[in-house]
Amino acid sequence: MILSARHLTKTYIDSDQTIEVLKDASLDVQTGNMISITGKSGCGKSTMLHIMGLLDAPDSGELYICGERVHSESKSAPMIRNRDLGFVFQFHYLIEDLTAVENVILPMLIAGNQESHARLKAKEILALLGLAERFNRYPNQLSGGEQQRVSLARALINQPKIVFADEPTGNLDPVHSNEVWEMIMNLNRELNQAFVVVTHDVEAANRAHKSYELIDGRLNLKKG
Amino acid sequence: MERLERFFLKRYIEAPKRNLFRFSFVFMVLGIMLSVGILSAGLHLFQGYESTLRKLLLDSFSHIGISSAYGEMISEAQYEEIISYTDAFPEIESTIPMLGFPLMAQKNDKIRAASLKAYPDMADPPFAKYISLGKKNISEGEVIVGHYLMQELNLAIGDTLNLNYPRLDQITPLGIPSTRSDFRIAGVYRSGYYENDRSMVVVTMANARELMMQPDGYSKIELQLEDPGRAAQLNHRISAILGPDFISIPWNYHAESLLRLVAMEKWLIFIVFSFLVLIAGINVISTVSTIIIDQKAEIAVLKTLGASRRTIHRMLVYRVGMVGVLSVFAGQVLGALLSWFVEHQSFYRLKGDVYFIDTLGAKITLPNLAIIFAVATALIFICIMIPLRQIDRMQIIEVIRNKH
Repeated sequence: MILSARHLTKTYIDSDQTIEVLKDASLDVQTGNMISITGKSGCGKSTMLHIMGLLDAPDSGELYICGERVHSESKSAPMIRNRDLGFVFQFHYLIEDLTAVENVILPMLIAGNQESHARLKAKEILALLGLAERFNRYPNQLSGGEQQRVSLARALINQPKIVFADEPTGNLDPVHSNEVWEMIMNLNRELNQAFVVVTHDVEAANRAHKSYELIDGRLNLKKG
Repeated sequence: MERLERFFLKRYIEAPKRNLFRFSFVFMVLGIMLSVGILSAGLHLFQGYESTLRKLLLDSFSHIGISSAYGEMISEAQYEEIISYTDAFPEIESTIPMLGFPLMAQKNDKIRAASLKAYPDMADPPFAKYISLGKKNISEGEVIVGHYLMQELNLAIGDTLNLNYPRLDQITPLGIPSTRSDFRIAGVYRSGYYENDRSMVVVTMANARELMMQPDGYSKIELQLEDPGRAAQLNHRISAILGPDFISIPWNYHAESLLRLVAMEKWLIFIVFSFLVLIAGINVISTVSTIIIDQKAEIAVLKTLGASRRTIHRMLVYRVGMVGVLSVFAGQVLGALLSWFVEHQSFYRLKGDVYFIDTLGAKITLPNLAIIFAVATALIFICIMIPLRQIDRMQIIEVIRNKH
């Protein structure tokens, strides 16, 4: 078991209203899993993902990564995010002043690896994702699909145990969206890379091994 | 330094145009450059003023002056005796007797108080280096006159000047008798030290004796030292040897307090002008705050990828700090140029009667440059650190959510 989320709850207070976005949500992720979470906009899918990615704290519940109980505020959280987790967001969040390769090497540099070694590895991954010709392009010189693939390469470079993808194709046209989904499926299949993908695209979500739907704060297994 | 920090630092250096020369830096750079420029120019000019004044004081006056304890003239025999003492001190460069007294200088209906000096015949008399016009070795009947005294009396080389010595020691019921003589102006004395340039008249020793009706003796023995800084210490030893018949006074006795006051004013100016750098620091705070707001997505991503708070702080410090340090350097160059301009401009001259000297000179010294650099850099780095707390308060998740 790579990750185990137990009985997570999360409540937001908006004006006078209390919104319970997660109610007793539990989820297990194993090596090589391809898990999707769907649900209506604002239902709490991203919140679930952020809690599992140690970016947000639940009101209650427990989170275990590789058997160790962790929390977004714990001292080891940045190290775990760097070493064990990868992130792909709807907006690529690439650093505009860095080239594709330079964006990809960031997690390796944070981990303390040598820049030359990181560059070699970044180029390998970018080539694997079909971006061999785009190494030295800046984000604004890449298409939306290419930007998202660079973001995927950045998520993968430290060989994380899980990659969390939050609406990775939400900002792309159908052609590029399909391209990115294919890439995620291939990486899962060929590298046995675990993914937890949050999407509102039900059709794409059904391609995952396990599919959950978040309704009224409760995580319901739909498939798998 | 962590690898991520090193990577970004390298990028800032390799691609400064993309990373450092941003519009958001323009006002910060201008603020630092101007404030450091003014601070530097102020310090260089005050340093120049202090150095010039010190040099003029040391060149214009004896480093140690020996006179009779009873207000009498020093006889030739006493002078020989003093020489025999001072010869034992290798630190003493020269021992020169001088006859000096106050008198009146008159040209037609204009009369001014003056200070007469006379030295024995010598190839290079003490005043020689400040002769700006005419000759430095004068003959009987000739006089060297201070530049401003010449101006006040409308005199030129070759004109005649009447020197009038009132015999205050021989007051009669009919008034104060005086001895007077006409002298032809042979040279102009201009040291830059206003007081001397306004009052100095130099005649030969023989002429001075005639005016004073003093057949022999000297009013003072002037000692010049290799290192004027040791005058007070050396004076202590000389005074002990000379005994109670003589008084020896080092130059510090008259001038040290003035120089201390000037030095204090210099550092006061430095402190006041340092506040300009602090005001420029407000631009630094604003620039760093703008960068943090502008790049909060990038900061949030780096935090998401596992970068520590300290690493992100340092990356920003390096980035803004490099621009800040370069601006300080540019400000120091601007300060040097400003000082040069002030030194070489011709539309403003110092008022000698107020500031002792009449020319503005700048002096750039390495310690002053280092002090300006250290103070300006420290202030800038403090200003960089202040807004960094925003990063600590930044919630990654809020930034990522708000982009949606």
